[in-house]
Amino acid sequence: MTRYAMVTDLRKCVACQACTASCNAEWEVPAGYSRTQIKKTPIQGTFPKLLAGNLVAQCAHCDDAPCIPACPSAATYRDSKGIVQVDREACIGCGYCVEACPYDARFINPTLKKVDKCDFCAPRLERGQLPACVTTCPANAKFFGDLDDRSSDVFRMVFTEGAHRRETPEVAVGPNVYYLGRAEQVEMVLANYPPRPSRLPVAGTLWKKMAKPLVIGAVAMTFLGQAAAFFHQLRNGEKEHED
Amino acid sequence: MKTSAIPDHAIPLSAEEAAAMEQRQIKKHHIAIMLLHWFNALVWVLELTTGLALVSSPHFRVVPLWFTDLVQGLFGPRANLLRAHLVIGFTWVIVFLSYGLFGGKTYLAKEVLQKEIALDQDDLQWLRIRVLGILGRSKEPLPPQGIYNAGQKLFALMVYVMLPIIMFTGLIMAFHWFGTAVVGWAVLIHFASVGVVVCGLIVHVYMGAVFPEEKPAFFSMVTGTVNELFAYSHHFKWWREVKLEDAVWMRQRRNADREDDPVEGVSRPDQNASQPRS
Repeated sequence: MTRYAMVTDLRKCVACQACTASCNAEWEVPAGYSRTQIKKTPIQGTFPKLLAGNLVAQCAHCDDAPCIPACPSAATYRDSKGIVQVDREACIGCGYCVEACPYDARFINPTLKKVDKCDFCAPRLERGQLPACVTTCPANAKFFGDLDDRSSDVFRMVFTEGAHRRETPEVAVGPNVYYLGRAEQVEMVLANYPPRPSRLPVAGTLWKKMAKPLVIGAVAMTFLGQAAAFFHQLRNGEKEHED
Repeated sequence: MKTSAIPDHAIPLSAEEAAAMEQRQIKKHHIAIMLLHWFNALVWVLELTTGLALVSSPHFRVVPLWFTDLVQGLFGPRANLLRAHLVIGFTWVIVFLSYGLFGGKTYLAKEVLQKEIALDQDDLQWLRIRVLGILGRSKEPLPPQGIYNAGQKLFALMVYVMLPIIMFTGLIMAFHWFGTAVVGWAVLIHFASVGVVVCGLIVHVYMGAVFPEEKPAFFSMVTGTVNELFAYSHHFKWWREVKLEDAVWMRQRRNADREDDPVEGVSRPDQNASQPRS
């Protein structure tokens, strides 16, 4: 089994934007959009005890990814290596998953009219390369690997060095992007950008909560009505004409 | 000469009259309409199958998982399934648009729609008695009906409203028209309007293929004709109209060419009924 994960070392990231630039170039993301984002936190404390950090946000390929059930056409799915993928040919660009993502890691690509997001550079992985952001990072703050591989960097960082997930008790969907750093730094940065509860757009909510049960009920009632008429017909025998 | 002899309401027929009328056929459907009907039926089977299987999300799914798995096994998962749904859908839209374009004057003219989908007083009565009758709660005679009965009219009315909605929301999703938010609403409307039509379809299929009294109507979608007895007893107003037209046409023909034998091959069931009536 393979379980891909990414770790960002907050002690090293200086928000130079090299990762977002290389990501945008690699995947031809239209201007104004990005698959990775660096969210800065204001400096806290007084000199010389200062605290700061930058959150590198991207799709976390969550264990319980809320975007997967939100997709009406099953275009979003988890592949065998744990990567949450989008089949663009199956995507209709309805934006339900964009609302569903607690990390706002998805957007509708205005050129393609399909949803776009980080896929851990899956095509690069297939060629035996690391994700673009990992190879580009000048500070060497990003690490990528397999959590099922005990010799990997990410295994060590997650299971022995205690890298953190960006979770709250309310929103715990098992993200596979981790953050490493000084305890108070990680705490401060993650507290600044908590995940939001997953939601559906109004149309999706109406569909799930009203249209679906109504349609099931109406179709079932109609069917049962016709079935009753059919048994009545069987019991009373058939006659082709009344007169 | 004989128009006054055609009864203005259905009178009881003798056994010989009924038997004779059952042998004679009246043309009901044009071949183009029959082809469209069965094309449409095929499209509905395929689009419902692929469409239901597309929606495999637990939030919105209305069929069991084995069904979506089965259809995805037939058409291929995700992209291929959507592609199949789209290709069939586009074909459907194009065929209907061509019918609208070339046949719109014939089939969508105001008088035609008035006759084929507008409900009158008789129709409302008919609906009440028909529903009670099927449930075994009424023995009242059904009011006379036009070329389509009130149930068929209701179904047609619903289809005329729903088909453009289904097609348009489908095109919105296929081409991402009007932006993401509108596409999001289109998915919901597409689903809900198909749900409404499916309810109607269940009744339509039962009435057409299972209900014994409507069997001639079912076969008329293959042959294009119904027998005169069926027309007389189920669609009296339409039968009368056809007879009046025949009579007018025959008189004109007689006046135009006296040597020609006008009667041959044209049905005249009203001759027997002429003395006591009107």
